[in-house]
Amino acid sequence: MISVHGLKKHFRVHKRPPGLKAAVASLFSREYTTVKAVDGISFDIRPGERVGFLGPNGAGKTTTLKILSGLLYPSEGDVRVDGHLPQAREEAFLKKVMLVMGQKQQLLWDLPPAETFELNRAVYDVPREQFRKTLEELTQLLELGDLVNKPTRQLSLGERMKCELAAALIHRPKVLFLDEPTIGLDVSMQMVMRDFIKRYNEETGATLILTSHYMDDVAALCPRVVVIDKGQLSYDGSLDALVQRVRPEKRVVLHLGGPVERQQLESLGQVVSLEAGKAVLQVPQAGLSQALSRALAGLPVTDLNVENAPLEEVVSELFSRSRAAREAEAQA
Amino acid sequence: MSGMGRQFLRYLRLLGVQVRASVLLALQYRGDFLVDGPLSLLWALTAVSPLLVVYRDRAVLAGWSFGEALFVTGWFLLLTAVVEGTINPSLTAVVDHVRKGTLDFVLMKPADAQFLVSTAKFEPWKMNHVLTSAGIFTWGFVTLGRGPTALGLLQAALLLLTATVLLYSLWILTVSAAFYVVKVDNLTYLFSSLFDAARWPSSFFPGPLRFVFTAIIPLAVLTTFPAEAMLGRLEGRHLLGAMVAAAAFSALARAAWRRSLAQYTSASS
Repeated sequence: MISVHGLKKHFRVHKRPPGLKAAVASLFSREYTTVKAVDGISFDIRPGERVGFLGPNGAGKTTTLKILSGLLYPSEGDVRVDGHLPQAREEAFLKKVMLVMGQKQQLLWDLPPAETFELNRAVYDVPREQFRKTLEELTQLLELGDLVNKPTRQLSLGERMKCELAAALIHRPKVLFLDEPTIGLDVSMQMVMRDFIKRYNEETGATLILTSHYMDDVAALCPRVVVIDKGQLSYDGSLDALVQRVRPEKRVVLHLGGPVERQQLESLGQVVSLEAGKAVLQVPQAGLSQALSRALAGLPVTDLNVENAPLEEVVSELFSRSRAAREAEAQA
Repeated sequence: MSGMGRQFLRYLRLLGVQVRASVLLALQYRGDFLVDGPLSLLWALTAVSPLLVVYRDRAVLAGWSFGEALFVTGWFLLLTAVVEGTINPSLTAVVDHVRKGTLDFVLMKPADAQFLVSTAKFEPWKMNHVLTSAGIFTWGFVTLGRGPTALGLLQAALLLLTATVLLYSLWILTVSAAFYVVKVDNLTYLFSSLFDAARWPSSFFPGPLRFVFTAIIPLAVLTTFPAEAMLGRLEGRHLLGAMVAAAAFSALARAAWRRSLAQYTSASS
């Protein structure tokens, strides 16, 4: 469905010198520098896949999404979305894709969302009957109820975001780009959005690319992740394999019925945290069963959980490792 | 139906949806109607009062009598209604779109972006000015003691079209600048100040300015020519000139818009 090969996007930007004198001089003669927002990435995405784009701020995630959606021209490389060159922005292509941006909205501010839906129906040339059916489904799935008839400015952020998603899906896009769709939403609304996005993917078979700083979004939605850092691809594979590669150790959460010495815990594994009634240990996969039986035999354990390391930590470690590798490369 | 015919109908439907949204919005703010009505009358009085001053102790100025000059003022008000009601609201929103990055949503739609941004918002209450300008035209005819001719009205209708295209094109050129410079307020003020000169017949201005306002910035095409058409004295070459100017400016505006969009999507890099 999506194929990206050797994609580069370089921007030529004006170097802003510090100080008034240099700023005045820059009015007459400017120095430019090239920012490599995306620097040679390749990947393929099959129809119906849900893929998470991960990377720190400025990694090139949004630039890549904008190239895939036809908003930016690539500097180099070949990009195809369902056989189309996105930058050609053909009508047939634009009718198949949609970009949802959590920080920007397309809803008409002073009018009810129903008016934006009607406008999108006309723009996307959606037949009336299909529009009515889609809207009915979206209203039910997103529990929109009367929201669609209230002026957008009177809706809460979460309500607005649900309507934004509905507006984006009126034409039933085959490819959906989601850029931080849950940003600023409370936890329960984040869950509603995640459930809906997953259901939309499962029911329509739409291909989905998601960027989010909330790792829970990625964990809940994306079996596959593509990690981009400084414009380069640093990982492409399953989320589980990423966790295994970066943090193969398991987290053991012990609920304790009485006090324990730190030393006792350190003999089982690395102590991540210790507080009254609860201890968290990091234990290598190989020594897990032994550590568990020793804990159960020697400590006042009332309950225990075994988990993977939190995704935030995994990703943060991945970024710091690739930064360290780049620095080492630069020094060599 | 041919492909072009289908496209035309589709865009007509789109225009209908956009106008509907604007009318719904205007109906939400019916207070604007109550305020805009008296304001429009006041605005007409303000527009006519300089004429009253100028013609207090003379019957004719630069070939225009008071009754004739009223037609230029009437056209100035009519075009103000066109600009403020149909052109200005949508196109000032483009500047916001560029600044906030929401133009992305427009560019992702499978329809011409210039059409979508140009028809995004209308202010129907500004059409009050149309009634006011009709009143001024009537006053002009009563003062002159005669009515309009069919040919004059036909020419005036054609010139209303060319004037609207010209004003729209000038606005698109201004808005295209928004892609390169962050603040275009100064440009829009310049545009408004220049347009203000269109309240006077072009022959009121001294030679060099008259040339600028006719040949370079076609203000004469906007108000003087249509007024002459209604008075039944428009020269054929002026009508032709207006049509050529409208076509040339719209082509220039389209080219500037496309270039600006290419810059926005970094087609050049």
